[in-house]
Amino acid sequence: MSRINNDEVLLKVENLCQYFGPTKAVDNVSFDIKKGEVFGLVGESGCGKTTTGRSIIRLYNITSGNIYFKGERICAGTFSYKTAIKEAKSNTKKDIKALKEESKNNPSKKKENNAVIEKKKRDLDAFITEQKNKIKSAIFDHKYSDSRYSQKCVAKVAGEYNKEFTDAKTEAERKALSLKYAKKFKIAKNTRLITKIQMIFQDPIASLNPRMTVREIISEGLVINGIKDREYIDEKVYEILELVGLVREHAGRYPHEFSGGQRQRIGIARSVIMRPEMIIADEPISALDVSIQAQVINLLNELRDQLGLTILFIAHDLSVVKYFSDRIGVMYFGKMVELASSEELFLHPIHPYTRSLLSAIPLPDPHSEKTRERIIYEPLISHDYSVNKPTMREICPEHFIYCNDEEEARYKEEFGL
Amino acid sequence: MDKILEAKNLKISFRTSNGAVKAVRDISFDLERGKTFAIVGESGSGKSVTSRAVIGILAGNAIIEGGEILYDGKDLLKIEEDEMHKIRGDKISMIFQDPLSSLNPIVKIGNQITEAMILKNKSNRREARKDFNKMLAILKSNMIAADKTSNAEKISDLIKVFDKCNIVANQYENAYNNAYTKAIDLSSDIKDALFKHEKKQKTDFTALLGNCAARLKKISDKFLTVGYNDRLTELSAQCHRLKKLSKSEDFENKATVLLGSVKDFLADMTSAVRPSFFQIGYYLLKYPDTSIGEKPIERLNEEALIYLNKNFLDEFLSFEKLGVIYSYNRALKKKKSVLEPLHKAKEYYSGDFTHAEAVKYAEDLSKQVEESIDKLEIIKDNVAYTFRTGLLTAINRYFTCKKRNPKEERRFAKQTAKHDKSLAAGKKVDWKVIPKSVYDLDDLKEDIVSVVNRLIKKYDRYIAESTDIDFDARSLALIEYFKEKASQVVYRVTKNMAKEMAIKLMEEVGIHEPRRRFYQYPFEFSGGMRQRIVIAIALVANPDILICDEPTTALDVTIQAQILELINKLKRERNLTVIFITHDLGVVANMADTIAVMYAGKIVEYGTADDIFYNPRHPYTWALLSSMPELATSEKLDTIPGTPPNMIYPPEGDAFAERNKYAMEIDFEQQPPMFKISETHKAATWLLHPNAPKVDIPKIITDRIERMNKTGGSNNE
Repeated sequence: MSRINNDEVLLKVENLCQYFGPTKAVDNVSFDIKKGEVFGLVGESGCGKTTTGRSIIRLYNITSGNIYFKGERICAGTFSYKTAIKEAKSNTKKDIKALKEESKNNPSKKKENNAVIEKKKRDLDAFITEQKNKIKSAIFDHKYSDSRYSQKCVAKVAGEYNKEFTDAKTEAERKALSLKYAKKFKIAKNTRLITKIQMIFQDPIASLNPRMTVREIISEGLVINGIKDREYIDEKVYEILELVGLVREHAGRYPHEFSGGQRQRIGIARSVIMRPEMIIADEPISALDVSIQAQVINLLNELRDQLGLTILFIAHDLSVVKYFSDRIGVMYFGKMVELASSEELFLHPIHPYTRSLLSAIPLPDPHSEKTRERIIYEPLISHDYSVNKPTMREICPEHFIYCNDEEEARYKEEFGL
Repeated sequence: MDKILEAKNLKISFRTSNGAVKAVRDISFDLERGKTFAIVGESGSGKSVTSRAVIGILAGNAIIEGGEILYDGKDLLKIEEDEMHKIRGDKISMIFQDPLSSLNPIVKIGNQITEAMILKNKSNRREARKDFNKMLAILKSNMIAADKTSNAEKISDLIKVFDKCNIVANQYENAYNNAYTKAIDLSSDIKDALFKHEKKQKTDFTALLGNCAARLKKISDKFLTVGYNDRLTELSAQCHRLKKLSKSEDFENKATVLLGSVKDFLADMTSAVRPSFFQIGYYLLKYPDTSIGEKPIERLNEEALIYLNKNFLDEFLSFEKLGVIYSYNRALKKKKSVLEPLHKAKEYYSGDFTHAEAVKYAEDLSKQVEESIDKLEIIKDNVAYTFRTGLLTAINRYFTCKKRNPKEERRFAKQTAKHDKSLAAGKKVDWKVIPKSVYDLDDLKEDIVSVVNRLIKKYDRYIAESTDIDFDARSLALIEYFKEKASQVVYRVTKNMAKEMAIKLMEEVGIHEPRRRFYQYPFEFSGGMRQRIVIAIALVANPDILICDEPTTALDVTIQAQILELINKLKRERNLTVIFITHDLGVVANMADTIAVMYAGKIVEYGTADDIFYNPRHPYTWALLSSMPELATSEKLDTIPGTPPNMIYPPEGDAFAERNKYAMEIDFEQQPPMFKISETHKAATWLLHPNAPKVDIPKIITDRIERMNKTGGSNNE
């Protein structure tokens, strides 16, 4: 779609891994999301798409990989560095052992070998320090990316303030100015980078606290951010309520008084009030009726235009994802297997898993349904990865497939490239 | 057209603290045998309530305001819980939406599947003996009454012999079943062990071989092992010998081969012809000391039958036939005479009556009806059998509602007065007057009359068909009934037998390695697999009707496609009738034969799948179809504005009018009737009225239909 006309990358996910013990929920997934884009993530349940979303918003501490948001590293894992150290250690040990063995058998070479051993040890030490520094910086970024961002915000406000302060002439003006800026400073100080990413959850019943009124639910984020001004909060809440298609009167009610679609609107309002730049929508419509689903999708589309939102849209319903997203990533068992623009993906699905997913969509058409042949994906039959390991490769422009050399050649041939 | 279930004018509401919610408002539909009937609608449209009414699991605050659901001659809304209990799960079964919450998390899958089999078998055994004795007593009295030569003594002798013969047969059958069970148990254990070995798990072959040798020896029966005895002892000896060689090299291979042959042998033996115990029982009753078990079973069956017929059954049958005819004629005469009181009752229940009177009248009437039933009929006439409970339920319902109505009126008046008073005093009123829920007493009265009417119709048909009855066939069928009951008494489903049946069933619903899965807990299964288990449990009792309440809503696309395929397959193989409930029209395209689109408790459009998808006529169906994004859609989706109406205050006119952009003035004033479009297709919208302005189907749908026709055409070529 033509709605994005910039190349600014808002979110960058780099080799994201999320392991739960031995389970590799997300394994080495990389993708970019451009500003103003809707990026769809599809796959069957248990394929790791929700985990990816949750890792981005830091509901989990990621195992390894990096996530950059607006150029800042917000998540970083240390597992890959640690394994690198371990590997380097054992490799060096092996080498040294071999060399020592050699010197024993061949004393003439002893001196030469000893020098090599020394060098190896030095190299290892250097490598370990390097990796340890990386770990340190990763932990630091992971911990302090928020405060660094708030420092930036404060600096920005301070700049404005200083400029106006020097411009001001009388004492009274200056006093007024400092009063005016006190609130701005406070907000800037409390700004968290992570609040620029918000989440909409799947189940609108379970994700709303039944004991809080709609006003409390929606304004909770503001309150946590240190805003105590009742009037300001109410104003904001009413504004947002109207934005998502509810009315002011709803603010005093409790979630159970709403229908499913309205509840999901409340969920959306709660995430939009923080003026996020990005929204992670985790199956926001799976629990809704078909007619309500359309309402929610249209609402998200409108909000996206009005607020310039970037959306990571997670779902298993392909027709909805196709309708809503600009680019789509298909996940299977923790790995991203295909990534392309939505038009491209549906016109030319390449990976067998994507094809099987597409063939499973039920259509409102009895005649073609009765003759429909579902493609069944059997990873063991479809691929032979025993020798040649697969990676993400670009088959045609902007269309990535997880495949190995042999498959890459085959896919390209199929495509007539 | 073979109707298996029929719902007529069904009305259900729920009592809540805010007033009565009208969940289902006057819907009717038919269910044809072997077809799928889909109910489509938003949540709150009453689709689940309808299906729950069919299986009798409505919530406690549900009130059935009228209507009937006829299944097998019974009105499911009026029969007693005991009766319903026999139908629920056995004849009509249900799959629920969430497979996680419909399985017990702390019981193994296998136990959950076999539970029903074992329990059902237990209760069957208990009932069978009772049924047998009761029926025999009735037969005896009828035979004596029918006999004109006053041979009462001879008849009771015959009956005694018949009974004894069955008892002897039972003894032998019991012994046979025991041996049979032992064989099945052993083969099940062997299969388990072989499966374990295949999966590279540790298996103790030495112990199993010893076990096998001992257990093979114990399998002995007069009939089961005829012709197999030599092989049995030989296999037992082989097992014994091999057990001692446990130190040898290829012991495991040898053991698997031997156990495999034992398994095959047992399968062969258990699948052989079953002896007919009744005739053999008679022979053994006469000559208890003869050693009968040397002949092959087929020959034995034949010879015993000839002997039985010559010496006993011919005579017995002649007397029995007299009894059957006598019973039939007496019932027919009573039926004819009861017709007049029934017609009178119809008039009576149309008029005025008090509760006590009506109940007394009903009791008297049902006593007469009870007498008019031919007790010797095998296929029970359920209309007559459930007449009493049906009538009494309808009467009680009528009076409960009658009593409740004035109370409700009083409460409403009081509350309104209070509300108005506060308003007049200028106070802020933050509560609403709960609307009154008054029951339609005429409808309820109609229900009482319809119970009587149904019986009259049934009896009229009965009398009309009374000229050509094959009494020979009836008498033989009665004998078969006795035999069946007798063998049910000794038919015992053991855990291992149930397990083998369950494993077969699990294979049928597409679960891989059922032998391993049998011992797992629900949490070890994925969502799709859990739903398969739920389906397997629903199929245990081999039901006629399967209700699927949003079975795929909690599952993702690939799994959904698998489950839908599975339900379709089972439907074909078992000739199931399916009620399929969903909110997703895409899902039913492949499943449904007929579709009912429900909105606010009413069916708004009813037709075959082709009618609904290629020629939708109701604006609500249009809205549903056009709010689904498709792979080819890119324009803004048509949404249905607003939400479904609050059914505490059902709208006066068409319930959909408020959200309908094609609504006309009449839609807000008057409910549209069902307009017939074709033989199979009906829709309730004023747009179909001849005077209505012509409205075109939304473009998004016509486009889609065009596209579908194109692709459909190319598929056909």
